[in-house]
Amino acid sequence: MNILSLLIFTPLLFGLLIILLPSAWRASFKYIALLATLVQLGISIWMYLHFKTGTAYAGVNNEGQFQFVQKLPWINLDLGTLGKMQIDYFIGIDGLSITLVLMSSVVMVIAALACWEIKSNLKGFFSLFLLLNAAVIGVFCALDFFLFYIFYELMLLPLYFLIGMWGGARREYAAIKFFLYTLFGSVFMLLVMIGLYLSVKDPATGNHTFNIVQMMNPANYDANSVFSVLGHQTLLGMPARTVGFVVLFIAFAIKVPVVPLHTWLPDAHVEAPTPVSIILAGILLKIGGYGIIRVCLGIFPEVAASGAFWLGLLGVISILYGALNALAQRDLKRMIAYSSVSHMGFVLLGIASLTAEGISGAVMQMVSHGFLATMLFFLAGVVYNRVHDRDIYNFRGLGTAMPRYTTFVMIAFFASLGLPGFSAFIGEAFSLVGAFESPSVNGALPYWMAVCGSAGILLSAAYFLWTLQRMFFGSLSLKGGDVWKTALVDLNFREIITLLPLALLTLALGVMPSLVFDKINDSVLALVEFTKHIIR
Amino acid sequence: MNDLLPFLPGQLDQVFDGITYFMPEIYLSVLFLVVLVTDLLFDKTSGWLCRIIACAGLALVIFKDLEQFRLLLTGPHFFFDQMLLLHQTSLVFKLVIDALSILLLLYFEWDDDLNSHPRGLSDLYSISIAAIFAMHLMTMSVNLLSVYLSVEMVSIASYLMVAYRAGGLSSEAGLKYVLFGAASSAIMLYGISLLYGFGGSLDLFGGNLLPGLMRVNPIAVSFALILFLAGIGFKLSFVPMHFWVPDIYQGAPAPVSAFLSTVTKIAAFGLLINFLTPFIYFPKFPMVFDFSLFLSIIGILTMIVGNFAATLQNNIKRMLAYSSIGHTGFALMALVTFTAQGKSALTFYLIAYALANTGAWMLASYFANTAKAENISDLKGLGFKYPVAGVCFVILLISLTGLPVTAGFYGKFLAFSSVYAAYQQNHNIGLLLLMITGAVTTVVSLFYYISIPLNLFLRKTERTTGFASSNPFLLLSVAIISLLIVFLGLFPDILVK
Repeated sequence: MNILSLLIFTPLLFGLLIILLPSAWRASFKYIALLATLVQLGISIWMYLHFKTGTAYAGVNNEGQFQFVQKLPWINLDLGTLGKMQIDYFIGIDGLSITLVLMSSVVMVIAALACWEIKSNLKGFFSLFLLLNAAVIGVFCALDFFLFYIFYELMLLPLYFLIGMWGGARREYAAIKFFLYTLFGSVFMLLVMIGLYLSVKDPATGNHTFNIVQMMNPANYDANSVFSVLGHQTLLGMPARTVGFVVLFIAFAIKVPVVPLHTWLPDAHVEAPTPVSIILAGILLKIGGYGIIRVCLGIFPEVAASGAFWLGLLGVISILYGALNALAQRDLKRMIAYSSVSHMGFVLLGIASLTAEGISGAVMQMVSHGFLATMLFFLAGVVYNRVHDRDIYNFRGLGTAMPRYTTFVMIAFFASLGLPGFSAFIGEAFSLVGAFESPSVNGALPYWMAVCGSAGILLSAAYFLWTLQRMFFGSLSLKGGDVWKTALVDLNFREIITLLPLALLTLALGVMPSLVFDKINDSVLALVEFTKHIIR
Repeated sequence: MNDLLPFLPGQLDQVFDGITYFMPEIYLSVLFLVVLVTDLLFDKTSGWLCRIIACAGLALVIFKDLEQFRLLLTGPHFFFDQMLLLHQTSLVFKLVIDALSILLLLYFEWDDDLNSHPRGLSDLYSISIAAIFAMHLMTMSVNLLSVYLSVEMVSIASYLMVAYRAGGLSSEAGLKYVLFGAASSAIMLYGISLLYGFGGSLDLFGGNLLPGLMRVNPIAVSFALILFLAGIGFKLSFVPMHFWVPDIYQGAPAPVSAFLSTVTKIAAFGLLINFLTPFIYFPKFPMVFDFSLFLSIIGILTMIVGNFAATLQNNIKRMLAYSSIGHTGFALMALVTFTAQGKSALTFYLIAYALANTGAWMLASYFANTAKAENISDLKGLGFKYPVAGVCFVILLISLTGLPVTAGFYGKFLAFSSVYAAYQQNHNIGLLLLMITGAVTTVVSLFYYISIPLNLFLRKTERTTGFASSNPFLLLSVAIISLLIVFLGLFPDILVK
């Protein structure tokens, strides 16, 4: 049994177990879900420790260099004149995915711990939760585009129900908005995927293939196919490869989310229950970033290079627009949601720089934001569960009432605003270094973008510190009066053991960024080298 | 008479030769008689017996269908004086029709509304067997005469089925269907007579019809062809011949609507393939009438009209009716390519659609039986009361939308691939537009399909009374269909082989 398959399908097995158990045992479901995520965490830690580094294991565009690979023929159809359709169950990871897989496993454990707040219809909740879990990990591991797409779409339905059934007051609206947005991106992705499939041939077998790694090699394209690098075909009057890139980019940009495709995110985050918010912010947004690196950049490097200015521009707009919006929010969860938009902008900026520093920074920022967003949403959930209110102006002086809670909030806020010593600083700094370096190295981005990106850090300091001041400093004064005062008890043991590892992880990554960089470095260098090579 | 004598042995030989290719249909006609006689002998209580005989007989017919694959090893075969043609696609379509029909015949009794009919259902079984027989003919007809006869035979049987449960909407629907149907077959007959007049032959593959048509004014030929296609379009329910669908699907008993929207449609597609093949392979005919362009436009319109109209519906049956129009449009997309891959994509798409659609109609019956739910809003909160039915409904609708991991997704995927492959060959802009429309309408279709899970699971209801029980087999078969849909989504190659 391949360890990666085990990682993907463990939650499914546990989910099946939950479905089969009688509802009378519903009290045990959360422990089963927690156990599933812990097993997963164990597996991914093992993989992290056994992950080999060095240029011989860079991966990216070299199929032999991926690790923990499993490749099985899955769907094989004889299509007559068009040759055989070759769809493989092909999974494997390289430096770009290993840290994200580990981060996702950690976040899943935290999300499972946050599930304690769910009270109704537990069987449905936990089976959907575990299905989502499997799909998410599958996306990071899939190397066959078809498989990738299956996992990518498989996330939608559980999320729809998780938001729609256990969400807040406007949950119907938020759930359908999320579903329609994402599906809109992904149906067009399906069309590009089919186009790529019909353009690419596996040199070994001569069949058309969905293999993402093969799609990265320009030599594998049929000379007169739509997406051929040298063919310069057009679609509706535009260069075909540009159209392909843009369509895929839009699909992933909806996930990231990039302004102006972000409007589903505040609604979904605010209405979703805490564990789902955690998964949304912690993992799903990274799937967008990961997709841009692996698929958009990997398959269409020359388009990415020529369009780097626009990618960078969108990144900068996201950083500033998200931060300004966050400043204006009254709802704590909405504020955090917009801060996510802003922080994910750095990822896009880093990728657009097309430098090793920028892309490393983007990956680092994704990992760091995974932990921090999880922590922030968990913390927002703590207050909401106690008094069912999240309005920033309804709280004051929480620092005296909930000292332990306030400590964690301060850690999360300071880490998020990019204080040196925490992970977000490293991620943002490297993204910006990449952006600053880009004008002199490859001319992809102008200087002012890096400068504007830096201004985003200032803005994030503003909204986090201001929120801290409004909610936690001063004398205790609550909208709900004494009822709230008794309800707002400090963190309990479960909450502390949830938050403590996150706080330690973000600190550890800030002090020892090599924990991430060592693993991703070879792959990032290979990716940068590969894109340079193609562009020339 | 004496002049004909020398031809008789040859004619007879042809007939006898044809009989080996006609075995499933002979079995079907015998089955029809047996069911009819059983009904007459045992009177009103014979429903269950007719049902058993009909289903067992159909199983036998499937067996005979399978035997026919052996006959096809030497290639397609004309028989009965070039009236019928047995080929790979028609045989597959026949198999699919028979297999689905068993499911549908079983389903007739599970619908409480239909089952409460005082006259019993035994007549319905014999009518449906006759309809299935005619559908077999439809998939094999290659002469305009046999085309017309088979279409008309299916129509007459369908009229009876729609109006079977007299009273209320059903009679109204039946009358409407007869009127529209009669008008459309008159139009089709007019088209056929014009084609005969222009071409001097009724035989599509005979080699005289098309050259004849090439000699005539293209506008006149196009006119005749459009009249003919209007007749088929009525059966396929593509825009603008779709107007009858919502009223009749809503008025007819749910199982009958399921029958019309699945097997009849598949047979009509089989007929369309037969009709189009000679035109497509005849060089220069696109100069006279471009079927590819015509069907592309029709397909785009059908997808748009069907899917957008469906978003406005609140009645479950009407919603399913409009959605089936949308699916016709999508299936036309796969047909437009006229490649071998396109045909197999069409077949897979139709199977996936027919299975999921039958399941959805069954669930419409189920919720009508148990909770008297006619409208989508009546389903509010029922997912918690009927979890299995609710989850199956979600799976089936997801398959109809075309999301993984379901058969519907794979059908959509194959259809897109075949169109893409054709586009790569000829760079026809119409194909690109078809794909884009297909993608956009997929998102639109999610919007209305998801409204059922939305009501089932996301909303709560205070209702506690007025629930009845339903036939357990109905739920069982829906569950089996749902599992099959997921299984085919995971391992589609099993079906394609």
